Amino acid sequence: MPTAAVLDRELSAGAKGGHLKHIFDVEREGDGEDSQRLVMNFGPQHPATHGTLRSIFTLEGETIVEADVEIGFLHTGFEKLAESMTYQQWVTVTDRMNYLSAINNNVGYAVAVEELLGIEVPPRCQALRVIMSELSRIADHVLCVGLQGMDLGAFSVMLWAFEKREMVYDIIEAVCGARLTTSWTRIGGIIRDVPEFFPDLVYQFLEEFPKLHREIHLMLSGNRIFKDRVQGVGVLTREQALSWGVTGPIGRASGLDIDVRRDRPYLGYDRYRFAVPVHSEGDCWARYLQRMAEIDQSLEIIRQAMATLPDGPVVHEDFKTSLPKKDAVHRDMESLIHHFKLVMLGHGIRPPKGAMIYSSTEAPCGELGFFIASDGTDVPLRTRIRPPSLYNYAIFPRLVEGGMISDAVAILSSFHVIAGELDR
Amino acid sequence: MAADPAPAIPAAPGDVAPPRHPARKALPSPLDLLVLGETVHAGQHAIFVRSPAQRPILEHLRRAQGFDFLKDVTAIDLLGRDEAERFQVIYIVHRLADGSTLRVHAWLPEEADSVPSVFDLWDSARWGERETHDMFGIVFAGNPDLRRFLMPEDYPAFPLLKDYPLTGRGERRQFPLVRPRGDEMVEEAPLPYPTSIGRGMHTPEYIEEVKRESKPKPG
Repeated sequence: MPTAAVLDRELSAGAKGGHLKHIFDVEREGDGEDSQRLVMNFGPQHPATHGTLRSIFTLEGETIVEADVEIGFLHTGFEKLAESMTYQQWVTVTDRMNYLSAINNNVGYAVAVEELLGIEVPPRCQALRVIMSELSRIADHVLCVGLQGMDLGAFSVMLWAFEKREMVYDIIEAVCGARLTTSWTRIGGIIRDVPEFFPDLVYQFLEEFPKLHREIHLMLSGNRIFKDRVQGVGVLTREQALSWGVTGPIGRASGLDIDVRRDRPYLGYDRYRFAVPVHSEGDCWARYLQRMAEIDQSLEIIRQAMATLPDGPVVHEDFKTSLPKKDAVHRDMESLIHHFKLVMLGHGIRPPKGAMIYSSTEAPCGELGFFIASDGTDVPLRTRIRPPSLYNYAIFPRLVEGGMISDAVAILSSFHVIAGELDR
Repeated sequence: MAADPAPAIPAAPGDVAPPRHPARKALPSPLDLLVLGETVHAGQHAIFVRSPAQRPILEHLRRAQGFDFLKDVTAIDLLGRDEAERFQVIYIVHRLADGSTLRVHAWLPEEADSVPSVFDLWDSARWGERETHDMFGIVFAGNPDLRRFLMPEDYPAFPLLKDYPLTGRGERRQFPLVRPRGDEMVEEAPLPYPTSIGRGMHTPEYIEEVKRESKPKPG
């Protein structure tokens, strides 16, 4: 059954060279009761799904006439776990959400709990959190761009992206000892100050990364094959994006000008000058350009933050809520008492009873929100994650309907849905 | 709904007449009567209503006041917390024009059949309500797609209810463990649950389980 969307596709394909025209004609002949429909499972074990996403496509020829998705294959019950873990313990769980940019999840959760408690972290901690968040964002975006290239036939871009992304992971490893499951933040600060060679690593990255950025532009931005696969594919309008709650680069590529870093500045983001790039086309091409433009802005933020990195403590120095330094715990009595008061079950961080907060930060995929309700004990009454991937992915079945199977691959890779965050 | 004298439900403890959110001031008086209370924490406003009064209020916020972005739909289970009702269904609405955010908490008794859906106002409510249904069993009347979401479609429980244990009710034990022994595959009893997480460590069941596990196994 040729839908209006198929007609539109056919028209735009005709304008680009008409490579869809023949298939479309065949479909038209097969219209009616005796048309043959095929139900195809796309995933959960398909290389192009990058994880455990399952889509069920009803096909007529190669055209998707109906799409449905099934999620939850990676459901781990993070929100249920939060009912039995203290505020500090749950930081480790946030790593596992968007595992490509774990730092952003750590920071988002720490910001939420700090907002609930009404504490503000010291300037050095804020600046370090900003630098690490932006490094993570770059790693996430560049991997997404690389995978977008890989899914559409440009394998080298993914390998280049992986190589340079390794620099970010080296920095993360130097800062917190882990690469993937960072657990870097603590409520009221970060685990420890960065090593002395941290600025060298970051400046080296700032010097080398723009080369890759240029290379990707050279490789993809003028690439006819890539452009044919992404231009005009999976167009998401601004109204759709707003109504479905799509945020982040996908929303901004559709002209939805939301960025929590600018609209509701946290961690002193208002101190840095940066632009929020916006594209209006809303197709996979715009989402690619959007991520490339956002990488530029993140580099700019890191440069400014490194230039103005203040000295001082990295932990909010009220040890009723933030853990004292470990060597201080070994040396002096008061820190030891504070430490025990914080880690003992039933003590620890206890926000006032009835306090509730919805706090959001800008994660690489979009607005990452935490709704936390306290019952006055050290274990929250309810911790709700608003995962950006969940609300971004909701529109996916609508977008692929009327397109080809290969378009679904292009759309999915441009959406960059992280299953760990989607299913939690 | 507005006429009958609703029993006083405390909005939240320690609530002392906070300044009203501009969006609440802009509500017409019949709708404002439905609001039971308002709290502010860290500059964030929340208004409390009794379900299904959230539907006309959200409709007004969407259509007349231009709250065009529903950030999230979720719920809290307050079982055993000495509150007036068991559930709160929470809507977080946002207006792009001036960046103001408001939370609408709807009290929902345990015996209520359903909550009116708001998917026709914001499409993001489709999946938000679906997940809330999947986790709490709350039925959103009118939502066209309330299949199981994160849990399997034959799952017999709603995991975020407070009376649902952290370690489950043994659903995973339904899966037999099949191991090769010699030339044939033998079905074994499933492995016990890991329960060493946070509070779970101190429950009598856990201590019992540790005792059981530490005994030398026969054979």
